[in-house]
Amino acid sequence: MRLANPMTLLVFLGPTLLLLIVLRLWPAMAALVDSLYAPRADQISLDNYVFIFSDPVFQDSLVVSAIYSLIVNPLQIAIALMLALLLNAKGPLIGLWRTLILLPAAVPLSVSAVIWGIGLRPDGPINALLMTLGLEPQRFLTSPDQALGSIILIVSWVGIGYWMTFLLAGLQEIPKSLYEAIRIDGANRWQTFRYVTLPQLRRTLTFVLVANTVANFLVFAPVQILTQGGPRGSTNLVMNEIFTLGFVQGDRSSAAAATVVLVTVVLVVVLIQFRLMQAPEDNAA
Amino acid sequence: MKMPRGLIRLIVAATAGLLFFLPIWWITVGALRPREDIFRYLSPLSWETLWPTNATLNNIIQLFQGDFTRALFNSVFVTVVAVVIGLILCAMAGFALAVMRFRGREAVFFVVVVSFLIPFDAIALPLFGLMLDAGLQNTYIGLILPGIGNGLAVFLYRQFFLGIPKELREAGVIDGMTTFGIFWRIYLPLSLPAHITAGLILFLFQWQAYLWPLLIAPDTDYKVAAVAIAQFTDNIEGTQYNLIFTAAFFIALIPMILITYFQKYFTASVSSLGGKG
Repeated sequence: MRLANPMTLLVFLGPTLLLLIVLRLWPAMAALVDSLYAPRADQISLDNYVFIFSDPVFQDSLVVSAIYSLIVNPLQIAIALMLALLLNAKGPLIGLWRTLILLPAAVPLSVSAVIWGIGLRPDGPINALLMTLGLEPQRFLTSPDQALGSIILIVSWVGIGYWMTFLLAGLQEIPKSLYEAIRIDGANRWQTFRYVTLPQLRRTLTFVLVANTVANFLVFAPVQILTQGGPRGSTNLVMNEIFTLGFVQGDRSSAAAATVVLVTVVLVVVLIQFRLMQAPEDNAA
Repeated sequence: MKMPRGLIRLIVAATAGLLFFLPIWWITVGALRPREDIFRYLSPLSWETLWPTNATLNNIIQLFQGDFTRALFNSVFVTVVAVVIGLILCAMAGFALAVMRFRGREAVFFVVVVSFLIPFDAIALPLFGLMLDAGLQNTYIGLILPGIGNGLAVFLYRQFFLGIPKELREAGVIDGMTTFGIFWRIYLPLSLPAHITAGLILFLFQWQAYLWPLLIAPDTDYKVAAVAIAQFTDNIEGTQYNLIFTAAFFIALIPMILITYFQKYFTASVSSLGGKG
């Protein structure tokens, strides 16, 4: 086939390509360049990286982010998977329950943060419920031990339904014949899940795990709105730390270095996903 | 006595559904309730905790007499513009990548893929520096531009267009159609699912955005709703929780309607992401 007319090509591809380069790749490169120049230095060095990695606040923020990731991702995906399995079967009003669980996914995270911030107030409805049940009222967002958990709740209310829909779509693509075959072999429910559902769902699960992990690395609105990283740094997730470094403290070099670290971690996670999705046994199924 | 499995399933599903829905219901009730009633029915809890006994529309009237009207207008305006322009540009780019032959196509495709692997929020701060230098703070252009060029939407269109039989295109050429004619009159009308999925991606990106509008549009004239709700100022009597609930209701309502209506298109992107490119 002959080559496309260059003018036509430019009209079709030019604007988007320009936008992607200027608005996505260029800032990433700018951050990389900024991160290599220490303030008032004119030579390339890793000083900014040495600086942020020896900064206890940044170190703590990495630890908080790691703890947060290790809790929030398995938690959201486990619940989303259980709900997807539950709602994949036929049953009365199943579409309604599905929609009700999906609805919070439409709520912007900043709105979820504001509303849950009111709900979790010391004199708010959650504590009213706890007291009605004869339990002690809790401090939630104002307690260093409970604030991160509260953020996880706020993010998960929005996230679980969102990821559930992807898993439901994956479940519905599994051929019915596989279930019939294993039933004839006399498998019980657990064996069916273990040997049919789970392997067939591997691709979708990998996608959801990675996309969710990336999304959770970027959580910012609830922290900035409700805790500003506190109390005592207990919710200082890495995005909030980058925002504080760059926007509040005006330390562009450190913010750029931290941005490069974040983007690198994200890209590594995504590349691992590609490896997992293209694993050879996947093609055999 | 043993309960039938279907009944247990129904009870668990209904409980989960209602639990997830409860905060949305609470927002709705709060939006309809006079200010002094917001925290009134908490101790003890009663049916009135979740039912607006003195329901009023005053909150809505009061809310839209203030700055929030402007913020909601800004959100709607930038979202509509970003989705319309974004759909056209991303579809055109996807068409070029799927249909046109040119040198460097792999390189362009690589740029598209890398651009959606780098999460936008992660590079928002360096981009903000660049846009500030370009004088784009507190402008609609600054708010809209990042939402238009969306690598994921381009990728989605490319995958969808690859599935359209090339015989249709060849028939168009024989009929004397231009490239643009083939794109506009053959490819676009056949691609409704791609438009909806890409449209949802662009819509949610723009409507839910918080960090970027917080940086680029802090001015009241350009502030969007998702930012404005986090900055409701207190008046003499304290925080106006009734207005916060009302604002939350309106910000959440529009995407809730769209997501409910287009539920099945919501996940269509997964299969194309996982598929062979």
